[in-house]
Amino acid sequence: MLRLRLHDLRTMIAGLAICAALPGWLLADEMTPEQAEFFESQVRPLLAEHCYKCHSAKAKVLQGGLRLDSRQAALAGGDSGQAIVPGKPEASNLIQAIRWQTSEMPPTGKLSANQVAVLVKWVELGAPWPGEADEQPIAAGKTYDWPALRKAHWAWQPIADPALPAVRDRAWPKHEIDYFVLARLEAAGLSPNRPAEPRVLLRRLCIDLTGLPPTPEEADRFERAVARDRDAAVTQLVDRLLASPAYGERWGRHWLDVARYSDGHGSFLDSAALPNAWRYRDWVVAALNHDLPYDEFVRRQVAGDLLGNEHSVATGFLALGPTYISDGGDLEAISQAKSETLDDRVDTLTRGLLALTVACARCHDHRFDPYPQVDYYSLAGVFNNTTVDEMPLAPPEIVKAYNETKKQIDKLEKERKAIKFRARNAANRKLTADEQRRMKELTAEIDQLKSKAPDKYPFVHTLADRGSEDMHVAIRGNLQRPGPVAPRRFLHIIAGDDPPPFTRGSGRLDLADALVSPQNPLTARVMVNRVWQQYFGTGLVRTASNFGTLGEKPSHPELLDWLAARFRGTSAGDYGWSLKQLHRAIVLSATYQMSSAADERALAVDGDNRLLWRMSPRRLDVEAWRDALLKATGELDPALGGPSISDIGGSRRRTLYAAVSRNGDEFSSDTFLRLFDFPVPRATSEGRAASIVPQQSLFMMNSSFMAARAKALSTRLASEASDQPARIRRAYLLLYGRPATAEELELGLAFLDSPPADDDRLSVWEQYAQVLLSASELMYLE
Amino acid sequence: MFHRDPTLPVSRRDALARIGAGFGTLGLAALAAEPALAADAGLAAGGAGSPLAVRAPHFAPKAKRVIQLFMPGGPSQVDTFDYKPDIAAYAGQRPAEVDRKSLRNTKNGLFPSPYKFKQYGQCGKWVSDIFPHVAECVDDICFIHSMHTDIPEHAGAILMANIGHLQPTRPSMGAWLVYGLGTENQNLPGFVAMSPRAQPRGGLSNWGNSFLPGAYAGCYANIAKMKPESVMRDLTNGFVVADSQRAQIELLGRLNRLHADRQQHDASLEARIAAMEMAFRMQMSVPEAFDISGETKATLDLYGEGEYAKGCLLARRLIERGVRVVQLSLSIDGYDIAWDTGHNEIEKGHAKLAQACDQGIAGLLTDLKRLGLLDETLVVWGGEFGRAPTSEGAKGRDHDHYGYTTWLAGAGVKGGMSYGATDRFGLAAVENRTHVHDLHATILHLMGLDHEKLTYRYSGRDFRLTDVHGHVIHDILA
Repeated sequence: MLRLRLHDLRTMIAGLAICAALPGWLLADEMTPEQAEFFESQVRPLLAEHCYKCHSAKAKVLQGGLRLDSRQAALAGGDSGQAIVPGKPEASNLIQAIRWQTSEMPPTGKLSANQVAVLVKWVELGAPWPGEADEQPIAAGKTYDWPALRKAHWAWQPIADPALPAVRDRAWPKHEIDYFVLARLEAAGLSPNRPAEPRVLLRRLCIDLTGLPPTPEEADRFERAVARDRDAAVTQLVDRLLASPAYGERWGRHWLDVARYSDGHGSFLDSAALPNAWRYRDWVVAALNHDLPYDEFVRRQVAGDLLGNEHSVATGFLALGPTYISDGGDLEAISQAKSETLDDRVDTLTRGLLALTVACARCHDHRFDPYPQVDYYSLAGVFNNTTVDEMPLAPPEIVKAYNETKKQIDKLEKERKAIKFRARNAANRKLTADEQRRMKELTAEIDQLKSKAPDKYPFVHTLADRGSEDMHVAIRGNLQRPGPVAPRRFLHIIAGDDPPPFTRGSGRLDLADALVSPQNPLTARVMVNRVWQQYFGTGLVRTASNFGTLGEKPSHPELLDWLAARFRGTSAGDYGWSLKQLHRAIVLSATYQMSSAADERALAVDGDNRLLWRMSPRRLDVEAWRDALLKATGELDPALGGPSISDIGGSRRRTLYAAVSRNGDEFSSDTFLRLFDFPVPRATSEGRAASIVPQQSLFMMNSSFMAARAKALSTRLASEASDQPARIRRAYLLLYGRPATAEELELGLAFLDSPPADDDRLSVWEQYAQVLLSASELMYLE
Repeated sequence: MFHRDPTLPVSRRDALARIGAGFGTLGLAALAAEPALAADAGLAAGGAGSPLAVRAPHFAPKAKRVIQLFMPGGPSQVDTFDYKPDIAAYAGQRPAEVDRKSLRNTKNGLFPSPYKFKQYGQCGKWVSDIFPHVAECVDDICFIHSMHTDIPEHAGAILMANIGHLQPTRPSMGAWLVYGLGTENQNLPGFVAMSPRAQPRGGLSNWGNSFLPGAYAGCYANIAKMKPESVMRDLTNGFVVADSQRAQIELLGRLNRLHADRQQHDASLEARIAAMEMAFRMQMSVPEAFDISGETKATLDLYGEGEYAKGCLLARRLIERGVRVVQLSLSIDGYDIAWDTGHNEIEKGHAKLAQACDQGIAGLLTDLKRLGLLDETLVVWGGEFGRAPTSEGAKGRDHDHYGYTTWLAGAGVKGGMSYGATDRFGLAAVENRTHVHDLHATILHLMGLDHEKLTYRYSGRDFRLTDVHGHVIHDILA
């Protein structure tokens, strides 16, 4: 916009004027008594009344980094730059702001015309300010005492390796984890719940590790094995589940939440389809199944394309994010779109991997945490030098053939468009005979080319470097208002008082290394906490994507550090970044294996179960719930990987394979998933909600999906058991992994006893099956 | 567990449950009666555990509900409500005021409105002859002529108008309002977005919940092809008759109750049982609300013909039943930015669009007033920006985000008022400039919410509809 560019120009000119005119500034001793009187009687009271609440040393929260309680401070300015340019009211931010041009000050209401005139006159006079002779500019921006800050908050501190705490009940712990949990319980006068029943533990383990419930036969086997040796039975089961490909599908989906994975289609401003996004999804699943060490998992997702072509697919982590465009070419809109795209990359990276809300520092220094604005642009600069690209997975000649045909078609289409445009611009005249003939030819040629054009070759969405330049800090987040240069480098709070600059290409490789550097305590802690969160419903730190000062403190800080130290450690007994070893540690603990039974006294002391006196009951996420339905009805297709499925309702594949659009309105899968709290994949997600709305119940009651499952279950029951009571019992084992009670059996038999209505299209058994499939118990985990 | 205050009167459901009747019976009983009774039953079901339960505002509200008549594409202010006779005197010229950058070429200079303007009402408001019905309502309307927004592009500006941000990364205004206030009828969605044929550009983001919980998302209905019973997904059962379904629901209720009793102290299981009951009732309450077949001929005549008129009537029916926010977007011919036909040719395009909505809008205002609902309902009309007084091509107008008109009517705003002004040709807001954030702050204020206090903690900070901006326009408050 012209206005903004003019404004920038003014700021520049103002800057030059100041440098040149410094010695000639009107100093206090050159001030006339009339000027001093004018200031004291008219200017100072105005400033005091309308500005100082937010722009003085007395302000509770200094707004915009600007103080107006001294001439020196006003000259130094705030986030928007210099507030006054002596002698030049038009170039002074203060004047523009009180005229409500660039911003609208004071926010409580516009000053009167007279008041504005007073301040304009004051600036015209050179902004005389009696009693101030010191014209040294004060340092701009906050200063940070990094060593002190690093000590001040738990998350910035290095990972400790705490010793196991002493506990009274030495018999209970099965694993080191249990000492940390038990010590806190004992201190609070609580004791851990009894171990979960074998069937309950089995269902919990199977769903937690693979997202699929056990079969009744597995349950029988497990119960027998537990009777012989519980610990051996559990260990054997866990190892089997971790080795199953379903493990990668389950935990891959958890990661895709963090990666705000979608198949594109973000509506108008980020509308691109991402037809090969599924290759990244499959990479994640395979990486987890192969237990790719987490540090490498992270490095490849940030800089895989720079580590070798075979790793490019991993950069889908960032490449599949929204890339916003403008809708018409307006400068302001273009700049906003770019700014928002960079924000996506910085936010996904910092909240997703580090649990730091660095994106809050896009417009100003972070209000509460030590992330200066320049740090935001140090990271944004890396992505400003990175582009989203396609890497063909086909031989060059196929790519060439496709591209050449496409080029030809594009050229012809361009010509066709040009003819139409010429005619329309000449006051909508009709096409000449020549033009009509040419149009016909073109259309025929295009159609012919299209008919024999090859399908687009397979490719992966990848990042690619495109430059190596530092960005400028964007004043107030506006890229059209460049501030100082922000060298590409890692965050001060992690990387040291003077982080070394990134030197290789865009800097992504340096960034990837910094993320997993031993100096960085966050990457390991954050992942340990995310894994813990999936098992217990909440993390040791409940704000899984914010470890900053506004996040919550860990409930068991020593346990978090102990696990983080093991997770990334490489000594004997450490996990060497192995996620499978981390899973194994957690699920083999007595803590994980507790019953979820309620206890009046413990509920009164610790209703939220922060101290982990029981396993918290949880609702299944939509994927596990739908997969459990399909498995119980015997319909589940366990095939691995492949393109996303736009109508998951009509498919029997696992829910992981549903196509997901960023705007949530492209695929029929979107509607189904969103009904059950699937996160909006526009930003990294720190966890699922479990909302309960009547539309979910309508789905259970009326959807054709549920009717189809009911039919399938009824058919299965009929083929697997002969009489009604046997079928009911079988249903309970298949669905809930437990025998039916006498009361449930009685209720079922009573329901099945009444004849169907004439117009019912479901048999009584199918109606009964639908009820069992809709029940709370299938959707909850004890 | 829900702990019920024993001093509260027992709900109809509790009473019936005590004498042994299932809730299914109650659901049907409640719905067989008037909508008010259904609303009452809905209210009873929306206990403190429901995310949609009514919540107290920050201060006494002037308005309880909002109807947003959204005009995507950018209606031209100087051809509708912002009368600028000076344009004619400078036709074809480019005086300094209008010599500003625009998205497209507008070198041709000022282009007088092809429509005639007349004065209406006690207030003597000038309105163009394409809005003859709305013109009759000017004494109930507060025009804001000094609106301005950030960019002159549809997608971003439409999002700004509906969610207060240029990219689709924030919750919509309707979602914020339901988050802040809950909704009065638990048998209907708290926020309904409607349009005939095409959704406004950006689709779901305009009524989405973004990072707010899913319960606050607007429920969209395409009113062109809408059948009352299919306005919401899975609203009707095509598999079993009602009696059979009632038996299913009662069995499910029993089984869920047994499960909840085993898993003591799990409020979510109780909430799930309540949600199932509510869903059962919604199968009747939702189609009932969207069914206009029982409206009198006089009422139908008041709103006039056409899809948008039908939308206006539905808007009244919904707010009458306690829906908190209704967003009704205009589209004709399936175009997602209807008013953008103004590029090539204002005259026919704008006349056709105005005709498509004029009588319906006036009918809505009149009907609300007649029913005593206008006092507690806020009606907001406007697009994402306006159109420039200079011409694009020979007969068209380009986007204008420097200044445009939005109007409010109903609860809490001064009728017959014109607030703010554009320059003498109508291009840019110059007096009492009002940004979209200010409009949002004002709407929230009228609904009893302080836009600086209605926050949601997400991603490490407290988000607001108005971000870090917005001033309530106190001058227009009644």
